[in-house]
Order: sequence, then C-alpha cells, then structure tokens
Amino acid sequence: MHWSSSILRAAATSVAASLLLGCGDGGTTADGRTKVAVQLNWVPEPEFGGFWQAELDGEFAKVGLDVQLISGGPGVPAAQLVASGKAAFGVVSGPELLSINEQGASLVAIFATYQGDPTAIMVHESSPWRTLAELWASDATLACESSLPFVIMLNRTHGGSRLKFVGHSTGLADFVNDPRLAKQCFVFAEPVTLELQGIRTRVFPARESGFDPYTAVVVTSRRYLDENPGTCRAMVLALRRGWVRYLEDPAAANAAMTKLNPAMSLEAMNLAAEKQRFLVEDETTRAHAVGWMTSDRWRTLAEQMISLEKLKAVPSTLEGDVFWQPPVAPPLGGDAG
Amino acid sequence: MSRWRTRLLVIAPPVAVIAATLLAWWLVVRIFEVPAYLLPAPGAVLDAAWSDRERLGWGAVSTAISATSGFAVAAVVGVTIGSVLGLSRFLERGFYPLTLLLQMVPLIALAPIIVVWLGYGTPAVITSAAIVAVFPVIANTLGGMRSIDRELEEVFTLARAGAASRWWRLRLPAAIPSIVTGLRIAAGLAVIGAIVGEFVSAYAGPRAPLGMVIVAAMRDFRTDLMFGAIGLAAIVGFLLFGIVNLGGWLLLRRWHASAREPSR
Repeated sequence: MHWSSSILRAAATSVAASLLLGCGDGGTTADGRTKVAVQLNWVPEPEFGGFWQAELDGEFAKVGLDVQLISGGPGVPAAQLVASGKAAFGVVSGPELLSINEQGASLVAIFATYQGDPTAIMVHESSPWRTLAELWASDATLACESSLPFVIMLNRTHGGSRLKFVGHSTGLADFVNDPRLAKQCFVFAEPVTLELQGIRTRVFPARESGFDPYTAVVVTSRRYLDENPGTCRAMVLALRRGWVRYLEDPAAANAAMTKLNPAMSLEAMNLAAEKQRFLVEDETTRAHAVGWMTSDRWRTLAEQMISLEKLKAVPSTLEGDVFWQPPVAPPLGGDAG
Repeated sequence: MSRWRTRLLVIAPPVAVIAATLLAWWLVVRIFEVPAYLLPAPGAVLDAAWSDRERLGWGAVSTAISATSGFAVAAVVGVTIGSVLGLSRFLERGFYPLTLLLQMVPLIALAPIIVVWLGYGTPAVITSAAIVAVFPVIANTLGGMRSIDRELEEVFTLARAGAASRWWRLRLPAAIPSIVTGLRIAAGLAVIGAIVGEFVSAYAGPRAPLGMVIVAAMRDFRTDLMFGAIGLAAIVGFLLFGIVNLGGWLLLRRWHASAREPSR
C-alpha cells in the first residue's frame, strides 16, 4: 500500500476509533477496580434485579469491577452501543444477538438472565378470547410488532390471521381505554401494573408459539472479550451471585430500582419479581448456574430464525463465538482486567 | 444564454452536491470499514430498497396519502386561524400563544394520547401530520395579513369596503406570498409528522406505511432497509414540496417578484 494511503487509513481509523469508543469504558478507579458500563435495554425493573442486587451487595467491587448501570428505554440501541464499543456490556435478546452478528457485528453472550421469552399478549379478562388460537382467529386489534418471530410463527401455526396489527407503544392508556385491544407485554410487568390498578387481564405467553429464546442476555463484543477475559469472567460471577441473592430476597434491590423508575411501584416490583422466577430459574440453571446457556438452545433459536427467514445460516461455532461463559465457581482472586 | 444552458445551470448544482455527498458517504464507509449495521454504503441501501421495493412502494403510497391529507388539513386550518387572528390584535394576543404550543409540544409524546382519542389508524396519523404542519401556516398567514401596505388599507377604508370584501380583495391576496412560504415549510413537516404518527398509531402488514417499515427494520438491524425507507420518506417530502412550489409559482408568477425568473 502506498505510504500516503497508509497514513490516511491510520488517521481515519484513529478518528473512527475515537468517535466510536470516545464515551465509554476503560480506566480504573483509585482502588484499582476496572470501570465498565452496562447498557440496559429497558428502565430499571425486576428484569435487572440481579444487577442492582450485585451492586447493593458489593459483588461487583469484590471481583474488581466498578460498574455503571445505564438505564435503557424504548428504542435504545443497546446491541449497537456494545458492538461499536461505546459500552463494554449490554443487555439484548437472543434473536437480536444473532441478527446483528449476521449484519457484521460480533457480539458474544455471556449471561442469559431469562431462560425463555417473557413476552406475552394480554387481553382484558372481559374479552371473549380465552386462548391464543381464539385471539388469532378474531379480527381484534393487536398492539404488537407484527414482524416479531413469535408472531410470524403463530401466523404459520394458525394459517394466517385476521388480526389488525398496530405499533407497540409503551404506555397502557390505549389498552385501558379499549376493551377489545390486545397488547404485547411482559408476563410479569404490564399485567401486574394493571392488576394493581384493578384492571384484570388474561395473559397468553408468546412461548406457547414454540419460539422461546434466551432473553435479557448480557453481551459483550468479541474484541472486548478477547482483550479483557478477566473482566468478563468477573462480570458473570458477580451477576450469578447478584441473581442468587435477588431470588432469595428481592426487597432491597426492588426498593433501589423503584427510586429510579417511579412509574413501577414497589408493590408491582415485588409481585413481578415473584412472577418472573420461573424464567430465571429452571432445570438447566439449577444444574449449572443462573444465566447458564447451552449450544442446543442457541442452535434451536438459530434454526427457528432461519425457518422464519430472520437469519440466513446457523453460526458455525456456537460455544465460544455466539456465547461464552466461565465454569461454575472458579477461583476468584482479583481477576478483573 | 440558450434555454438548455439555463436549465443546466438550474439542475447541475443540486445534482453535483448530491453526487458529492453520495461519494463522500461511500468513501467514509470504505475507508473506515464502517459495519453495515452502523452505516451501510449507498449501494447497499439501493440494493435493500430494490429487494423490498413492493413493501417500500406501498409504504410510500400510504405515507404520502397521510402526509398529504395532514398537509391539506393544516393548510385549511392554518389559513383560517391565521386569517381570524389577523382580524384583531386582541384575538392574536389571546390565541397566538396557544398556537405556538402546537409547535413546542413534542409530537412523539403526544402521539400515544392521539391514539387514545382517535383510535389506531389513518385518522390518528393524519392528525399527527396536521399538528406538526399547521404552525408555520398560521404564523405565515398572520405575518402576511399584518404586512399589508397602509395606503392600500386606506383606499379600502375610503371605499367603505366591508370586512369580507377587505379580507377577500386585500388581505388574502396580500398574504398569499407569505402563505405559500408557510405551506412550503408545512409540506416537509407534514411528512415528518406522518412518520412519527405512524410509529405509534399505524396499522402494520404488507402495506404498512414507511414509519412502520422503519420500526421493523430497526428492530431487525436492517439499517440498509431503514435508510431506504427514510430516503423514500424524504422523496415523498420533496414531491409534496414540489407540488406546493408549483402551485405557489402558478399563483404568483404573474404579479410577484418571488415567482419570476431567477437572476443568474
């Protein structure tokens, strides 16, 4: 390569790197802990209970990390922020990880908070629909992203749909106001909030469609993992401990989260924490550790996404490329960084 | 100067700027090796748009209908309100701040409540487009009505013209250049308003409007398709702007300096 183009390339790369990596992680605190940011994909809710529990219990500090939990919200591009190096860690869904990797990113899952999909469709208890099949046979309006894999899967199962799909807004006013509106939700979030307001719902979990991916998955970039395996290991270990403690007693973390997200009351947080337990803990996590992932589950997800035309190919290597996790209970000893 | 050369001088500058922008975009992607999920190359955007041409085509038609309808509502309501406020300083002082509020309220925050009021579907999208587009029409109509030559006003007073005659024969014609300016601004804003409204209130499906296509493409990390849909939304805006421009030129060409041949 000609020297001038080499210089141009080097200058361009350094500008790009400073733009892409400018605001992010790195550095250490005065006591030597590694500073890292975790970009959440939603506001503080029990979905992230283990994160706040780890923070409250000093688990991050014990493994040498100084963690900044960055609250998310509608449309926060958590996957892109991690892929571009603006945050060391982020929370995305399993399908998001596979999709963005096929578009040229290189994210690696390190912890699957939910072993299944908490997405659901809720209808008013007074509505005539008692099953997903009945709802799918109706001409109701469904506030749900129609391109979601589980929706496509249900359309296939039920031979199409007469449902009218509209955008999924985050508020509940439209649902409260319209007894014939069905709405996408998380099984333990919106229905709980509505129940506490005296509005009773019937909830159909999306996993009934057969599409049941890992969700609330903590990811990092391939590059960050390769350069900082100790930090990634420390993050997973702290999250495991945080989640175990949160499952035992979520009260303190819920109190901390409700201060950051007053829209969800402490009572709703406590109820939601109880209702989400089955997604955090199952046979696999009991046999290994909270957040544990398997190649079979990732392969199933990739194959389902291919059949739904959401993915072109199953990644050649799953363990190591798509997900990485330290063994259970390794020795600690200040391995961050 | 020949007619062709004149036309070339009109067409060449924007074409050259667009070509240079596309080249710069392509070079940035190439040199920085920017991944497609962050910024796809122009060619990738065109490929994606062509592959999904049917979906994007229907989306553009749907968005164009909503934006044009919202623009039409904004034009009628804006000229009416601007005219009424132009009748009296008292009315203007009372109601103008309220109209200003339409400009200040973030539509993305208002859109969900519009759905609650009007339900999902096209009426809510048209309302969103109209809300965003109406203020420049009001402001420019009012400005036009307020900038009438005092001597012409006195002629109408001497002729003892009634309020209706004065509005129709003096105020409205005098305000037309300002109104056309307001409509030009409103044309672009109506498309923005329609897209934001579609994010929240449009129906999905194979003929979903561009706002829904953008949301779905974002969720699937199809940045190429998202850019294609955004580009198409811009084209819809340009077309609406062009139609308004043409209408304004036809209205003004015989008597107003702004519609005469541009100086070289």
